[in-house]
Amino acid sequence: MKAYYAGSIALGALLALVQPVAAQRTAACPVKIGITLPLSGSLASVAKATSESANLAVEHVNAGGGVKGCPIQLIVRDDQNQPNVGVDAAKYMAEVERVSLITGALTSSIVGAVLTAVAVPNKLPLVSSCASAETFTKMAEEGRTNGLFFRLYATVRTQAAGGAKATIDAGYKNVAMIYPTNDLGTGVATNYTRVLESLGGKVVAAVPFNENQPSYRAEVNQLLAAKPDALLIVAFVQDGATITREWLSLGGTQNLILHNGLRSKEYVRAVGAKFLEKAVGFDNAAVAGPGADAFTKAYQTKYNTAPNGPCILPQYDAIIVSSLAMNIAPDLSGTAIRDSVRKIQDPKGTVIGTGPAAYAQALALIKEGKPIKYVGATGPVEFDRNGDVTGPTLVWNIRNGELGVEKTYSQEEIATLLQKSAK
Amino acid sequence: MVGLLSYLIFFLTVVLIFGIATMGLNLQWGFTGLFNAGVVGFFAIGGYTVAILSAQPQAGLIGNFGLPWVVGLLGAMVVSALAALIIGFATVRLRGDYLAVATFGTAMSIQIVALNWGALTGGSQGMVSVTRPLQHLTRDAIPYNVFFLLLMLACTTVVYVGLERIVRSPWGRVLRALREDETAAIALGKNAVGYRLQAFVVGAVLIGLSGALYVSYVGFVSPADFVPMVTFQLWAMLIVGGSGNNRGALLGSLVVWAIWTGSGALMVKLVPPNYQTQGAALQSILIGLLLVVTLLYRPRGIIGEQAVVSRHAGDD
Repeated sequence: MKAYYAGSIALGALLALVQPVAAQRTAACPVKIGITLPLSGSLASVAKATSESANLAVEHVNAGGGVKGCPIQLIVRDDQNQPNVGVDAAKYMAEVERVSLITGALTSSIVGAVLTAVAVPNKLPLVSSCASAETFTKMAEEGRTNGLFFRLYATVRTQAAGGAKATIDAGYKNVAMIYPTNDLGTGVATNYTRVLESLGGKVVAAVPFNENQPSYRAEVNQLLAAKPDALLIVAFVQDGATITREWLSLGGTQNLILHNGLRSKEYVRAVGAKFLEKAVGFDNAAVAGPGADAFTKAYQTKYNTAPNGPCILPQYDAIIVSSLAMNIAPDLSGTAIRDSVRKIQDPKGTVIGTGPAAYAQALALIKEGKPIKYVGATGPVEFDRNGDVTGPTLVWNIRNGELGVEKTYSQEEIATLLQKSAK
Repeated sequence: MVGLLSYLIFFLTVVLIFGIATMGLNLQWGFTGLFNAGVVGFFAIGGYTVAILSAQPQAGLIGNFGLPWVVGLLGAMVVSALAALIIGFATVRLRGDYLAVATFGTAMSIQIVALNWGALTGGSQGMVSVTRPLQHLTRDAIPYNVFFLLLMLACTTVVYVGLERIVRSPWGRVLRALREDETAAIALGKNAVGYRLQAFVVGAVLIGLSGALYVSYVGFVSPADFVPMVTFQLWAMLIVGGSGNNRGALLGSLVVWAIWTGSGALMVKLVPPNYQTQGAALQSILIGLLLVVTLLYRPRGIIGEQAVVSRHAGDD
């Protein structure tokens, strides 16, 4: 009995202690970057693609020269999309693994908890690849982030504005929308409505749904009752497919407007390509240029699939930007890295694209003390004072079961739309 | 070494916070036999109440009264008690599986209300201006975490000693009588409904207190903190540690949380870099495996219930 008692305390302590003892070797190399992703749960497919993008970035960085002469190493932790697990994983990475910064953090609940419980107290930058909630802009404005928060994903305002313009351009006036009750959904819904109304459109029904349900009949019936010209669906693949199938089978129109969460082959397969010929999708766009193209080619070569998905491109840029900043910073303390992040966007700098050769070129310039301007997979990366980025939007479609890009709205067009709708 | 120590302080603090909730659940299930499958609902009520009462006012939110933290904490306990009374009155006559389904439903409803009532809870964006006790005393992570750990040790000791006392009292014996044979207890004149309601409420107050402490420690609250998985985690802590025993509840808290977090850290070391993504799946498998193996070897939990607990049982 006493043996079991003692044994179980040992088990408890063992798992917490055994590996950290090995991590005590305080060597400078390799430089560790922590990444926390919802690898198990409903966002697993998004997280997996994001993690692959991160690995590609690490490969490129190490092939191009690493950070301060050392290779970088990714420490991957699953946060199970649960803040208490995520905070523990981040704390462990910060204090025991001694990572130099944390990236990933796809959902706002994880970002919020990790930011207040780990990043700010431990003075580590948090470079989120996919957080879209406006909460963090507000937090930064209030000074609660100590400037440690950066994100590579344009906030929902930009996406929603592009979506609204695409709706009007497709000729739809009265739109119904269905969106999930999470930070992304409510953000897109609010901003889309505002911009659409400023362009002369009307939202005839706005129905929220709770994720991960087996059926959305009730919500679909509410939407049908409003008799809209088109339906905007904001969802990830699983729920989006359920909603679309029920909508179509109950007689809903095929005039669909799709959020970027549905920009995936799995969605096309689940619903049926022939029903999606008239669908209009919107997504954050990379400026079509050598940076984005090089990344797409590299990703395609390595993983045999196109990088279609909400967080893939921003995650690549997050790691490259972090690595460049770490090279510019005088040392690898959190505050030094934080202060060097905006030095990668010098307007007078040499334009640096994506890929190992471009990275090596950047390192050479940094060594000589010359300015650089990173134009990555998501286009020119420019952090504003709150750590946010803006960007262009693109319109995508599905023809014969293949995902394609129809057109792009530039950063300036989007900015004008947002200004107009703010009045 | 400092890093490891700092992490362990953080780890222990979280273990103690969950430990209080597990002891509350122990009172409900271990001593009274109430199958509360909606543990996370009270955790959420406690967490949101302390945030709404003590956070600084923010535009767009109707709560956030900026009251002192202690008031927030007491408020969380009071609101949890009220919620438990309401839910208890509705469900106390239910037994076993039926009580489980009803409480599970209420917990889901609470989480969904939190998700949708944006004006009160911040909705899916969460509430960010949660005050932490005495945060203004120090900005450095380590001294503050040590202070919070000491605070948690004090709280947990008070709760533990209190529970041990009331469980070894006549009141505690009635609870156990109700658990073992309710008809006999009623035949002896005990008001079954009253006692079960009392146990339910006291347990819920502890779970709410735990939720409030958790939110105060992290500083950020969102509906994702209160998913049904948390109910599972707390139940696993109780069952693995040993239900019907407060030390078992605390031990289970340590063991299960160590398994949950340690498996993740272990995967980082064991899995080669190319397969790190799959490491997450392995982590989930490992957690399940360890829980099952522990229960196979110790079906009554690591520390089972003690058979005789009255101080006077040995008297003549």
